[in-house]
Amino acid sequence: MSARAPAGGAARRALGALAALMLLAGLGAGVAHGERTQHGNLIVALDGGLTPLKLPRDHPAPVAVHLAGGLRTADGELLPRVTRVELGLPKQGVLSSRGLPTCSQRRLRDTTSAKARELCGGALVGSGTLQADVLLPNQDPFTIEADLLAFNGRVEGRRAVILHAAAAKPPTVVVLPFVLRRREGTFGLAMVADLPPTLGPWPHFAHFELTLSRRYTYRGQERSYLSASCPAPPRFTAGFLSFARVGFTLVGGRQVGAGIVRGCRAR
Amino acid sequence: MEAMSAVSGRRRLVAMVAIGVALLAGAAGASAAEAPSRTEYVTQLESLCEPDAEATQRVMKGARADIRAERLTVAAEKFAAAASIFGGTVREIAVVPRPPADTAKLGKWFGYLKAQESYLRRITAQLQADHAIPAQRLTARFIHNGNLANNTVLAFGFDFCSFKFSRYG
Repeated sequence: MSARAPAGGAARRALGALAALMLLAGLGAGVAHGERTQHGNLIVALDGGLTPLKLPRDHPAPVAVHLAGGLRTADGELLPRVTRVELGLPKQGVLSSRGLPTCSQRRLRDTTSAKARELCGGALVGSGTLQADVLLPNQDPFTIEADLLAFNGRVEGRRAVILHAAAAKPPTVVVLPFVLRRREGTFGLAMVADLPPTLGPWPHFAHFELTLSRRYTYRGQERSYLSASCPAPPRFTAGFLSFARVGFTLVGGRQVGAGIVRGCRAR
Repeated sequence: MEAMSAVSGRRRLVAMVAIGVALLAGAAGASAAEAPSRTEYVTQLESLCEPDAEATQRVMKGARADIRAERLTVAAEKFAAAASIFGGTVREIAVVPRPPADTAKLGKWFGYLKAQESYLRRITAQLQADHAIPAQRLTARFIHNGNLANNTVLAFGFDFCSFKFSRYG
């Protein structure tokens, strides 16, 4: 009997946890699907969210921001070359890199993911994956899959997120700085990367997933690279916001993009 | 007489066939004229949706701030105006002839649009009744349903006729 009781309790707790998860999934289903837009033959997709979902109403708390997005053609044709990627986040978010080490593009060049972590682990602010359609002269197009690492950095005096993309097959490393800019409007914090022509004719952008998050200590104080609050009105338990936007500038200057709305729960 | 009647019978038959053919041809011509291509359909709908999308943006201005400041009845008036505009738009675009190949897809889309209008009216009612939490729940469903609507007609590339959260305050 005594042995059964705890087992029953554990099972109940497990079931309770499962129910809670299902409930959360149900609640999240309200707004947690990826959004897509189509511009001619091009489909832009964006998904993402905040973790944790439950945040204080009146002061920012540490968060992780997850973003996934990409471009594809409706008819399976090769994608046009992307010359600029811009990720917009709401101006209510706080990005703090005070006391966080920085890493330069030069240190990351020609390094594997493991080596990049070893060299610049102190500056790591995120990770993810990247898939890109590759086109080499006189070869059939193929897809490359790369591990993404995001490091705190500076580019020409500006704060930046340095993305390190390393693929095993074929061995490829790309280091791409996303410069942080302040913008007017809903998405006050923008991460902008210009894809230089020196990258060659092959980076036909396809899909990325990136989670930005870093907790660190500076002068004895716990800090977070990203923080956010959920300023829901007093009698409401949740708020909705334009959470993120991805914009792609294509060769020739055409711009396509997609934005997502997400909710948060007030603590 | 018999010959005469046989001739007139043949004439009547020919005339009936001719009228039938003419009617069929007319109907086919009319249906060809009424059935637009997808591009024509999108252009026509966008021209109808544009002024209403802009009007929605105008009437919803400040709604978020009203809710934040707990002026729920003021926000309710804005939602009521938006619901009325939305309903008007749906009725207007529903009568536009649809491309035959897209009938099923558009039928599904109009289902989502009707649900959107219903959500707007229900949010209005809850705000008027000072029921914050039900209004919040309905807003989540409204956003989700709007995304489903957009995904249904993704290939149409709508702009003003698509759901955009940013238009609602």
